[in-house]
Amino acid sequence: MSIETEGLTKRYGTTRAVDGIDLAFGDEVKVLAFIGPSGGGKSTLLRLLGGLETPDAGSIRIDGLAAPRGEAELRAWRRGNGFLFQSFNLFPHLSALENIVLPLVRVQGWRREAARARACEVVERFGMAGHLAKRPAELSGGQQQRIALARAMAHEPALLLLDEPTSALDPEMKAEVLDLVEELCHAGQRIVLSTHEMGFARRSADAVAFLSEGRIVESGTAEALFDAPQTEAVKAFLAKVMRW
Amino acid sequence: MWKTILSAVVSVALLATFSFAVWVVASHDYRWEAIAPYWGNLLSGWFTTLLVSAGALLLSVLVGALLTAGQLAGHRFPALLCRVYVEFIRGTPLLTQILIGYYLVADAIGWDSRFGVGLVVLSCFSGAYLSEIFRGGIESIPASQWLSARAIGLTEAQAYRFVVLPQALRRVLPASAGQFANLVKDSSLLFVISVHEFTMQAREANANTYATFEAYLPLVVGYLLLTFPISLLSRRLEQRYRYEH
Repeated sequence: MSIETEGLTKRYGTTRAVDGIDLAFGDEVKVLAFIGPSGGGKSTLLRLLGGLETPDAGSIRIDGLAAPRGEAELRAWRRGNGFLFQSFNLFPHLSALENIVLPLVRVQGWRREAARARACEVVERFGMAGHLAKRPAELSGGQQQRIALARAMAHEPALLLLDEPTSALDPEMKAEVLDLVEELCHAGQRIVLSTHEMGFARRSADAVAFLSEGRIVESGTAEALFDAPQTEAVKAFLAKVMRW
Repeated sequence: MWKTILSAVVSVALLATFSFAVWVVASHDYRWEAIAPYWGNLLSGWFTTLLVSAGALLLSVLVGALLTAGQLAGHRFPALLCRVYVEFIRGTPLLTQILIGYYLVADAIGWDSRFGVGLVVLSCFSGAYLSEIFRGGIESIPASQWLSARAIGLTEAQAYRFVVLPQALRRVLPASAGQFANLVKDSSLLFVISVHEFTMQAREANANTYATFEAYLPLVVGYLLLTFPISLLSRRLEQRYRYEH
């Protein structure tokens, strides 16, 4: 996977959520993690990459393809990716199974039986086979997030974007979800995620970028960034989050 | 503890009031034979009310849906027109609307069906209220659901169809059922253009016999027979579309 951005900027009102970001990651990076303080621009950058927001300035190229601007083309862009949010965002009126089947049938154009079979296969792999008929309100936070992850990757997206996938979960549930994400990494799924789980970023990410105030402060391999940070901002941040 | 006390007080107060009312009504000296010749008229009036209400109920859902769509479609001018319409209809007496609708508007276009005009005016009136209920229901669906729908690649129309409307439906059911019950009772105002509906028949029976309560008490039973099933149906649908647990 190659991810390149040039001068990528997104403003909300007068706030520059993403402020002139240049990224250049090549094929060797399968898993890319954004870390840094809350409000630093991680979520916005993910949404820009995933086609959920359009930049005010700058460009994005993924695998050499430029991200489009028009809504119809952006929808096609989003269709090829998978997105997972911090707050699950399952559809509460649909069962776990239907949550996964809906995009396969309505967006990806699968036949209903094929979609059901695929949903069952993924959910079984995620250890959730007994929960297919349940609505989200009947599932724990960790279970909901696993179903949401199943929904995001059932169509085998080129790129899986995870926006702080475990921030709303307690430690045990965090582990359930991170185990799955790691398994997906090992299976070769290309992933871009924002996270506060430093242990996970260090262990699973091929490259890590530290964002603060909408800018990339430092980026590099996980080992380099965690073991020998070059900037004061990253050193201070790591010292703070690693203390507890 | 205070909850138990409160519910006990409320129960006693309601029971006492209700029993007193029943006793007062039951102990009145009735002359049922006086309105005996009018039972047939009352029954036909009841059917007229049933028909005009059922027709207006369906049409008002359509009017309400169109007004909601006009306000949410994202174009300023149509949204403003819908807004003005809703405010105007809700802020003026139905009685005047019926009179204008029949004697001025319908007359101008040469339409002379009292029943038809009554049905349409009622639908336009009730549709304005329904559109506010529908709009509230749709706007109550959290932004995260829209975001999620976009993230999986749904078009806006698909997001409405598969994500937003099914959830909004459940939320607008109770208020819509209330509006439908109002619609049934509001149809009694069609007497001003001489639609021979239920209340008008009672008025005539009373005018001819001076047996006021004998003429009007059947309205209690008759209107309950129309509004209670709406209430029951709404509750059943709420159960069916329940997804919280």
